[in-house]
Amino acid sequence: MRNALKILTASALLAGAAGAHAFTPDRNIEFMVHSGPGAGNDVFARSVQGVLEKIKGLPQTVQVANKTGGGGLVAMSYLAEKKGETHLLAVFTSVWFVNPQIREKAKVTMRDLTPIARLVLEPAVMTVRADSPYKTAKDFFGAAKQNPGKLKQSGGSLSGRDNTTRHLLMKATGTEWQFISMKSGGERVAALLGGHVDMYIMEPAEALEQIRAGKIRVLATLMNKRIPSLPDSATIREQGFNVPEIPQARGFVGPPGMAADVKSYYEGVFTKMYKSSEWQNFLKANYYEDGFLIGPGLNKFVDEYTQTMRGILKEAGIKLVR
Amino acid sequence: MEILTNLAQGFAIALEPMNLFWCFLGVFLGTVVGILPGLGPSATVALLLPLATQMSPTAGIIMMAGIYYGAKYGGSTTAILLNVPGESASVVTCIDGFEMARNGRAGPALGIAAIASFVAGTVGVILLMLIAPPVAEFALRFGPPEYFALMAFGLSMVVLLAGKSMLKALLSMFVGLWLATIGIDMFTDSERYTYDRVELLDGVHFVVVAIGTFAIGEVLANLTSNSSQQMFKVPRGLRNLMPNWQDIKDSRFALLNGSLVGFFVGVLPGAGSTIASFVSYGVEKAMSRHPENFGKGAVEGVAAPEAANNSETGGALVPLMTLGIPGSATTAILLAALILWGLRPGPLLIQDHPEIFWGLVASMYIGNVMLLILNLPLVPVFAQILRLPGYILYPVILGVSIIGVYSVDQRLFDTWLVAFFGLLGYLMRKVEYPAAPLILGLVLGDLMENAVRQSLMMSAGDVSILYTRPLALVMLVLTAAVLVGPLFRRMAKWRLKVAEQEG
Repeated sequence: MRNALKILTASALLAGAAGAHAFTPDRNIEFMVHSGPGAGNDVFARSVQGVLEKIKGLPQTVQVANKTGGGGLVAMSYLAEKKGETHLLAVFTSVWFVNPQIREKAKVTMRDLTPIARLVLEPAVMTVRADSPYKTAKDFFGAAKQNPGKLKQSGGSLSGRDNTTRHLLMKATGTEWQFISMKSGGERVAALLGGHVDMYIMEPAEALEQIRAGKIRVLATLMNKRIPSLPDSATIREQGFNVPEIPQARGFVGPPGMAADVKSYYEGVFTKMYKSSEWQNFLKANYYEDGFLIGPGLNKFVDEYTQTMRGILKEAGIKLVR
Repeated sequence: MEILTNLAQGFAIALEPMNLFWCFLGVFLGTVVGILPGLGPSATVALLLPLATQMSPTAGIIMMAGIYYGAKYGGSTTAILLNVPGESASVVTCIDGFEMARNGRAGPALGIAAIASFVAGTVGVILLMLIAPPVAEFALRFGPPEYFALMAFGLSMVVLLAGKSMLKALLSMFVGLWLATIGIDMFTDSERYTYDRVELLDGVHFVVVAIGTFAIGEVLANLTSNSSQQMFKVPRGLRNLMPNWQDIKDSRFALLNGSLVGFFVGVLPGAGSTIASFVSYGVEKAMSRHPENFGKGAVEGVAAPEAANNSETGGALVPLMTLGIPGSATTAILLAALILWGLRPGPLLIQDHPEIFWGLVASMYIGNVMLLILNLPLVPVFAQILRLPGYILYPVILGVSIIGVYSVDQRLFDTWLVAFFGLLGYLMRKVEYPAAPLILGLVLGDLMENAVRQSLMMSAGDVSILYTRPLALVMLVLTAAVLVGPLFRRMAKWRLKVAEQEG
């Protein structure tokens, strides 16, 4: 009995001595993704999982869980309910900022959760089919001006990045064209390649192989600076159009009120990963922009990005609910 | 000639002992998940993605594709035996497959499903190997108006699915079309018929409706009719448990029709194996000399959809391999795997990494043979299940159904939903409304609505876009032919009667 007590006090002391940084995962860690297997987010989560495994960044196995539904809403409310859970992280994207502003049912904001790290920024690229008459963004806008509402762009949902970007472009140039929603990325690219639409805004990873095969052409990149993977493609600003950039941001977020030691543990994990050559190679291979950000900087980003998206949504004429 | 050299190299890769092992593991797992309703190939492939990315790309893709086409083999098993569609494409198989089982021909039905799967699976690979690039270019000509016409053609199959009453079949289809509207509308971002339930934001899952109306409805109907302890008679003797020569002869056109329809529908990124199976069934019935046998246990009614379902796999790999565009949930995961291996899938994949494409093609020939050898001996074994008395069999069906539904999204809500649709299925049976048109409406409704709205956005509201593009026009003419076909037949019959009376 006395021995047992001794052991108990000893272990309590040990736990105390290790202090605020004592948290280490003792079971499998779940990376939750709000989209189905094979989607951009899912590939991203699995890539992070792979890199962490290679550099032995975590002592436990990572599992990717797909919690789909309601355009991210199901995953967000699931995470919000898991207060105190220390082995669950979710991948956030711009949808996590947009949803609470436009959907009545999306009551969870990024501020309610525990943002841990922003890892990448994905630029947007404005593309047309290789045999299109438009060689520059200016050609496209010119044609859109002559035939208002006649040109077509394929894309995803109305609250997605491609549509908000379209609204910014239309406003900056005083033009107008159609946005045709399609369910899957495959359908959107196929519609461009088949000549059923005139333009598609995609991510470099999606575009580069099509460019290499001579199937599509870049009209402009939609970032403030030229992107390293497309050094010859002029930005929209260089072509004289003042359009703010909307990079897709991806990173990890934890349940509400995550304890400081747990949070700093995961920050350490992602910092270690960020510094590894495996991660840098991954960024290069998939044409991602490095977007590593943790701590106060990340909180500032969360607030600013929320406001930026708010302004864009308003401009895009999408109804805000709160 | 170049194809032969490439193929030989492909076989050299696929026949390496480890690759053979992965191929076998894939098709074996595929068969298992195919048999279990609910858990589909895409979920399984996703589960094994972490394992696959540790393997070499060639071995990984061989295994993952094995799961994909292997699941198509297994999907028919519960459809035929228990009226539980194992996956979306086997709803059509239920119609005649379950009737065959009821007539004591479960064995031949399972056998012909395996043979059809093998033949069509192999045809699918041959077509993938020979004509992938030109077919992919052709598929790109399908824009929203063409998809609309294809869906209209698909919906016209309701005429062929109708039993005694066309009106009842149409009503059933309209309920399906309504069910398809539930959820967030992509074009306006607004919710329709979600009744403030988060679970309904993505609509009603097709598996839930199919298992409810087919399997649970059937069990309820049997319980209340309370006829006999044993559902079916199962003949003794191995010979009666396998398809005979006549069955195979009767199915030969169905095999060809299903293989071709399945492949070409599979190539289109916006279609899918469910449409392929419905269309091939419709074509089969329309062309048949004995359309009256369909729905009563016609062997062709099993062979055609099962063939279509399997050659669809070969078709779905075409846009993935030649353009880097995934056309289905499972190919999207294969694409993810290619990215995770760092292979940069796109139009140049085959050129840059011929070993992957040709290794895959060769492994699919081998995998289909493995599947046939694996599945045929199981036929008599599975057929014995029907010897079980009702008081064991019915609870088993209910259990399998509920687990299947739950495994789709791990939501309790879906089990309530399946109970509701089970009740609906029972009532529909009582008042003789066919359930297949409801499923047809549910599956095609969403795709058709999207296509018509996309088309009208393209033309700024001008309806003529739907019928002025040549490809779309051809399909609409075919649709019209299917729709008026029965009318002509009825008129011809009536004329005959009048002539007889006068004469």
